[in-house]
Amino acid sequence: MKKLFVLFLFVFLLIMTVNTVNAMEITFWTHEDPNRTEIENRYIAEFEKANPGVTIKRVTSGSGKIQELILTAFAAKQGPDIFNMSIEDEYAYIVNERLAPVDFEAAGYPSLQAIYDAYIPGVLKPATYKGKLYGLPLELTNWCIYLNKKVFRDVGLDPEKDYPKTWEEMVEVSDKIAIRDGEILSRRGFDFRYPYYLVSTVPMVEQLGGKLISDDGKTAIVNDEAWLKFLKFMQEWGPNGKILGSPTYANARKLFNKDNNDIGMCLTGLYQQGRIRSDNPDFYNSGDWMVIPFPIFENAVKDVPAAYYGHYYMVNGQKPEENKKMAWKFIAYMLSHGEEYLTKVNIVQPTNQLMESKTFKSMPYSKVFTDDMSKGHVVYYGENSAEIQSFIREAVESVMLAGSSPEDSLNTLRRKVQEILDEE
Amino acid sequence: MSQKLQLNQLKKRGIFQQSIIIDLLIWAFLIITALFVLAPTIFMFTASFMPANDILKMPYRWIPKSFYWQNFWQGIRGNDGSFIYIRNIFNSFIVAAVVSATTVFFSALAGFGLAKYYFKGRNLVFMIIMATMMIPFEAIMIPLYLVTTKLGLQDSYAGLIAPFLVNAFGIFLMRQYFITFPDEILDAARIDGASELMIFRSIILPNSIPAVATLAILIFKAQWDNLLWPLLVVQSEEMKTIPLYIVKFMAEKHTDEGAMMAVAAIASIPILLVFFKLSKYFLGGAAIYSSRKG
Amino acid sequence: MSKRNTKYSIERKKAQWGWIFITPSLIIFSLFNFYPILNALYTSLFKKKLLSLKPPTFIGLHNYAYLLDSPDFWNSIRATVVFTIGTFVPLLIFSLLFAVFIMSRKRFQKFFQMAYYSPAVLSSVVAAAIWLIIFDPRGLANQWLNIIMNSPGIDHNWLANSIMVQLSTILVYGWKYVGYFTIIFIVGLASIPKSIYEAAKIDGGNNWKNFWYITLPLLKPTTILVSIMSMLQCLKTFSTQYLFTQGGAPLAPINVITLNVYHTAIRDHRIGRASAMSIILFIMMLVFTWMQFRSSRADEITY
Repeated sequence: MKKLFVLFLFVFLLIMTVNTVNAMEITFWTHEDPNRTEIENRYIAEFEKANPGVTIKRVTSGSGKIQELILTAFAAKQGPDIFNMSIEDEYAYIVNERLAPVDFEAAGYPSLQAIYDAYIPGVLKPATYKGKLYGLPLELTNWCIYLNKKVFRDVGLDPEKDYPKTWEEMVEVSDKIAIRDGEILSRRGFDFRYPYYLVSTVPMVEQLGGKLISDDGKTAIVNDEAWLKFLKFMQEWGPNGKILGSPTYANARKLFNKDNNDIGMCLTGLYQQGRIRSDNPDFYNSGDWMVIPFPIFENAVKDVPAAYYGHYYMVNGQKPEENKKMAWKFIAYMLSHGEEYLTKVNIVQPTNQLMESKTFKSMPYSKVFTDDMSKGHVVYYGENSAEIQSFIREAVESVMLAGSSPEDSLNTLRRKVQEILDEE
Repeated sequence: MSQKLQLNQLKKRGIFQQSIIIDLLIWAFLIITALFVLAPTIFMFTASFMPANDILKMPYRWIPKSFYWQNFWQGIRGNDGSFIYIRNIFNSFIVAAVVSATTVFFSALAGFGLAKYYFKGRNLVFMIIMATMMIPFEAIMIPLYLVTTKLGLQDSYAGLIAPFLVNAFGIFLMRQYFITFPDEILDAARIDGASELMIFRSIILPNSIPAVATLAILIFKAQWDNLLWPLLVVQSEEMKTIPLYIVKFMAEKHTDEGAMMAVAAIASIPILLVFFKLSKYFLGGAAIYSSRKG
Repeated sequence: MSKRNTKYSIERKKAQWGWIFITPSLIIFSLFNFYPILNALYTSLFKKKLLSLKPPTFIGLHNYAYLLDSPDFWNSIRATVVFTIGTFVPLLIFSLLFAVFIMSRKRFQKFFQMAYYSPAVLSSVVAAAIWLIIFDPRGLANQWLNIIMNSPGIDHNWLANSIMVQLSTILVYGWKYVGYFTIIFIVGLASIPKSIYEAAKIDGGNNWKNFWYITLPLLKPTTILVSIMSMLQCLKTFSTQYLFTQGGAPLAPINVITLNVYHTAIRDHRIGRASAMSIILFIMMLVFTWMQFRSSRADEITY
């Protein structure tokens, strides 16, 4: 027993010493995406070759887990050199001054202004704080609706003409497509992307004239009528209403790729095309899918599509200066491959050059996405956006699943969001 | 005399018939509940051989039409083709084995000290150690992470293992076991000139094999299952353990139920085999600490 | 005089060895248990954001006052209490029933023990993965319940309805641990001397009477142990609820304290408030255990 223990102690020490020998190591944490891993591992190899003595350690985690990992690491002052998340998760790092501003020289730009000029207007604003720029976008994404033509034809609808333009039509079409065994759905027409309420459902409220937070940032929940109408819509959608979908069914956008006749439409970004291509090449090539714009309510007062969001590469501010420089240099090197990101992974880096390129314009349905994006706005981001999103989730769930009245849920939502606003 | 005997037999028969019905009811109850308890596990194994769209077909067919081995191939290979699951399985074994060994060692030591030595404050120390059983892990998660990173142990075997080197339950178990150990034997050894360490090594340890085996297995199982701590302390793919791989795989391929169940089956087969092989210790594990209480 | 002295020194030597034996464990505990809990206690007195580099503001007991005034936190207490009582009472009854029934069988004892125990061997991540598929609207749970209740096509909303989702977490937890406690009871039953039953037979007691007046009172120590253990485990429950909400289940009905702690710290970055919450949970657990220890010590059973 004792010998065994000594052996284990020895193994510990060995592991610890092995861990500490290295010249300059840049740690890079990012979310899991097999298509990206492939090309970025190649960039790393190339970059390491061009910069001897530098090693880059790329670490991936599931997209639902990465926020927690990065947060605990930063809380313990052990954050990675480079990371990326969605802007609403990253913003707290900016305001808490945990980041290093973009080093334009290391990134190969003549001035800071040159960076702003290289990107399409407005997209760097969320990463700008007190006059400094803290991130460069890996991707800018908005969601439209993917449609399976076979499913439409199966119920006698012409996808090109009969696709839903309004939410009311969405209910109608989905009801037609739905195949039910009693109350149990075995084919859904469309279903929402449930955890992402800031991106896809707040715009629905805005179509009706409502707002999450007033323009002066002081009052939560503007225009109760719009919110109530939206909540009633969700109530009708769920298992206690017309039974068209629910958060407990399998994820719509992943079913879509399989083309198994169990989902007609799903809400997702341009990147979905890359995933369809790798999951199900036959379906991708069949031409049996198409993309349509985000619907609006019949009596909408504003045409608001799904909000767009960005993933920004950011650099840990607590690292030594030379690490920060090297980190920005490496980020700029990766981002110089915009076209490859677009063709291999189907993610869009919003530079003027790429958006104007032939590659982008010839992507299937890229125009549907850019049209929606030009009408939309960036997702709500703030230090507490994750918390606010979970409050919206609770409100929708309580109406849709637990049978609370829309009024009660709205009041609870207002109380919680207001509390956060008052605190700031 | 003979009359009395007959009467007795009659009585017995009546009770006998009544008890046959009760007997059958008990059998039925046991068999039906056992089937319900086993159903999810059987479901996992059958579903692991089916393509995803067969699994959620109504009604569920318990016997796969054909063996769809692709699920297992995809599970082991991973979505990126790195075969990292094999390394992750190995990690789980290493961590669980080391933690079992150290827990048994330190728990036996402390349990012995608490059971057989009288010193001031002993009960207080025992109470304090027991109180740690009541600390929810989520409560100390962040400070614990700070300690671990300060020691430079993150993303390593040492980091996965360190917080679990000993646990209060193990000390409790070993103390309860040693308390009944006859003092006379220890005193006799002391008179023969044995040192306290020698007593521990050559009298106590050899005589506590059942308790040690039981504790080791319980700890092994708990570590095999550990999710939250590895989630925080480990970042690189090479250092992940089985539960982390499964959670990641679930997030990547949430709807591919077939591959999901295959991965779950692969994770469960070794521990189920160990369970069948060592069932006397598993079942005994519950046994040892129930027979006595603190 | 000298005799007393040597005895004194032997006692002292023994005391020293006692300390030597527990010191390694105490060092490990201090580092990985006592320090973190004291740290949490200290942090609970501050308003502290996880990411902020600014020094935290001391706010005294304000975090506790906030929590005791927050409907959200009371909902968590409700969810935890409902889950704990809802799990541990049926768990106790079923495991006792299983144990008594298994012990009354002459054959297949081991088979049943292993069958009931087997889910405890599976990892909780695997268990959640299996049950998420079973609870899918098209899954086994709906199919079976509809066969039993002869109600084709009804969706029982296992993960969606606020009452059903509480029931589902209880079901999964009970499924996983019922075998564990069954075996503790079996061992408790096995340790009751046969001679007691033989004596009862002479006194003319029947099976039912035997169970009620002999077995049950003698099982009291085991029952108390099972209650304490299962209650503490239920209060600490996390992974089932966590993985279910990740799988789309509504949060509010199953937002147990540990899950709330996790969200408050990790999602909302409010580490001070989260620490206060976990200290309250810690105190709750201490009180529960203390009460049960006290009630058990009141009347010890000796055979």
